[in-house]
Amino acid sequence: MSEPDVIKPEMMKSYIWLQTADGSIQQVEQEVAIFCPFICHEIHAGVGSSKTYPISLPARVNPVTLSLILDYCRFHQVPGRSNKERKSFDEKFIRMDTNRLCELTSAADSLQLKPLVDLTSRALARMIEGKTPEEIRETFHIPDDLTEEEKLEPLKNITDDPRIRLLNRLYARKRKELKEKEKLKSVEVEAEHVDDRSVDDLLSFINGENGDSKEVKAPKNKKKKSRRKDQQKNAPPVCTVSDTSSSPNNAIKVSNGVSSVGHDDKVKGRLSNISDLLKFQDSEDEFDDCDDIGDEIDPEIKEQIDREVEDFARRLNSDWPERVQELLSLGQDRRPSLYTVNGNGSSAKRSSSTGLEKHEK
Amino acid sequence: MHTELPSEEDYISDLPQSIVETILTKLPLRDAVRTSILSSKWRYKWAALTQLEFDDKCVSGTYDRTLAETNLVNFVTRFLFLHDGPIHRFSLSTAYLQSSPDVDQWLLFLSRKDVKDLVLELGEGEWFRAPSCLFAFKKLVRLELVRCELDPPLSFKGFLNLKHLNLQQVLIAPDTVENLISSCTLLESLTLSYFDSLELTIRAPNLKYLILEGEFKDICLENTPMLVAISVAMYMTDDIAEHFGQSSSCNFDKFLGGVPSLQRLIGHIYFTKYMSIGNTLRKTPTPYRQLKVIELYQVSFEDMKEIMVVLRLILNAPNLQELQISGSSNSSSASEAPDLDFWEKECPRDCTFERLKMVKMTDMSGVPHEMGFIKLLLGNSPVLEIMSITPSVYVTEGRLNLLIELLRFRRASAEAELIFVQDQV
Repeated sequence: MSEPDVIKPEMMKSYIWLQTADGSIQQVEQEVAIFCPFICHEIHAGVGSSKTYPISLPARVNPVTLSLILDYCRFHQVPGRSNKERKSFDEKFIRMDTNRLCELTSAADSLQLKPLVDLTSRALARMIEGKTPEEIRETFHIPDDLTEEEKLEPLKNITDDPRIRLLNRLYARKRKELKEKEKLKSVEVEAEHVDDRSVDDLLSFINGENGDSKEVKAPKNKKKKSRRKDQQKNAPPVCTVSDTSSSPNNAIKVSNGVSSVGHDDKVKGRLSNISDLLKFQDSEDEFDDCDDIGDEIDPEIKEQIDREVEDFARRLNSDWPERVQELLSLGQDRRPSLYTVNGNGSSAKRSSSTGLEKHEK
Repeated sequence: MHTELPSEEDYISDLPQSIVETILTKLPLRDAVRTSILSSKWRYKWAALTQLEFDDKCVSGTYDRTLAETNLVNFVTRFLFLHDGPIHRFSLSTAYLQSSPDVDQWLLFLSRKDVKDLVLELGEGEWFRAPSCLFAFKKLVRLELVRCELDPPLSFKGFLNLKHLNLQQVLIAPDTVENLISSCTLLESLTLSYFDSLELTIRAPNLKYLILEGEFKDICLENTPMLVAISVAMYMTDDIAEHFGQSSSCNFDKFLGGVPSLQRLIGHIYFTKYMSIGNTLRKTPTPYRQLKVIELYQVSFEDMKEIMVVLRLILNAPNLQELQISGSSNSSSASEAPDLDFWEKECPRDCTFERLKMVKMTDMSGVPHEMGFIKLLLGNSPVLEIMSITPSVYVTEGRLNLLIELLRFRRASAEAELIFVQDQV
């Protein structure tokens, strides 16, 4: 608690009383304290002029920060100071450790002392600008609780770096592996079967098959199913297909609808939704295959896959009309990686597309 | 409510969003977005920012212009798409991006977000034509447009909340701009730069600050009673000069006839010449009682009419405190000039500049009219504190004579300091 100055008759200052959340009460010169809008309002409301009715300061103000704030006010409330002097004071004033600086910002904000909030915020911003995430976490003791893939999720891919996209795929794969390990512990029900099927139907349709998509289903790995289910859960806004695929009938209807290539508009509409879904899923699809086989994948084939994936992603991102052309004209050539599922899974790996049509074997 | 530190010693993540926003707004936008990677709490703090400032620094430097443009478009589009919450300020200032359909889309998106402050400055190439959704920004308080084409739809009734308007290099029909100004009834600050050959009548009942720069054929401040500060930089082309030659109206009255609250007047380049057209020395209808500071640059002291403009101003500003005049560096130091006896005979002798404290004359060539003017000021300013004279750089000889002559002038104020500024570098 600060002792009041010896009061000489010729300089009668008025004092007001402030109480911090911990109960301690301080006496401060009125002219200094009213520099804070909060305190000023309280005084106008009639509080603070005596020890028995001190002004209760907001909880975020503790005695240490209060004394800092009062130092600030004491300097700045004097009208005669030059801008240079004030700036110089400010620069020295904010030299304190980061923890204290954050507390001070919070306290100044609750007292509505905007110039001080600006000053401290600027100092904090300087500590963030141009620093690496690790440095920033170090400065502020921020816990590093994001998983690797979360950091590189497409959400953050604002600068559109193709390398980051590729990294995304790798990390997404890892993510799937992690999830799959979890899922191994919780057994999923057969009911998901249906969902997968419809999507596969569509996938194989896109890859050149017509209408015979129904027999696609060999018994699936539970892992894949659950993964697929998760994916579909994630994709609802994107793809109407997943909405309709909740029952077998619907699924088949959809695939039928899609298989009649003649009706351009309908097809285009559906296909565009599907392609959105595919775009979202293309990375998952890619390593669905891998997981089938476990880790005994040929590095060469793996590379092939990666290339295919990248290629496919590029094509998906190109113009829609071109894509339709391609899909309708080729039909044969691609996407072994997209295509999932076979009972044995091994034929999925084929680099030539012919694998696709023959997948029913 | 917590009185101790937030958990795990994290100093900053639990500060209120308003403080976090204050901190993030003091960062370049790119750094602000990158905080999403710090921790799970920080993932979306940036997405709630309400003040967005995009510029070419948002995308990493590259010499390939098309690439830079694409990157910037992608950045802004994705940012807006991921953003969550209201947007109060949107500013885009870029040299790479020019007219592009993406900008139209962004504006459409923003028009639904109650944006209050919009700044759009695009590149030098093809000027951006503002889409009609720009006129649907109902909550706009501040608008700044550089290099674009404005053509409001017929149904446009004005930005009813607009207080600050800044148009620079904007292609807009003259009556459209007049209507725009008059329909924004709350307008307090207006800046028009680089308009060509504009004839403008300004009706803005709440206008306080006016800044004009460009070639103006005619400016009429018809309804601007609240104007507090005016700054005009007037360029002149030959046909404008010709137009002036034939004009019969008094520009001074049209411009300064209705500004009783004026406190500060600043004129550059050909402003005094513009004001001299049709001018006389008679008293203005109401004196400028609030006028405290006058700054006039490039005043040609060889043209008697321009001097009359200056005189008329200071004679009608009883509370003038500060006067700054810069001579025209085209003056030749002729010792002979027409109307030299003006200062002895016609100039009102009994005028007193009761409040004039500071006078600064720069680019002085020592021509007789300049000296006459300074003599008038020195002799009639009882509270003058500083009279600062800076000779023009083109005057190399004769400075001593200039100084000698200055020293002889009688001073009404005992406190007056005569400062002769040498060698400005």
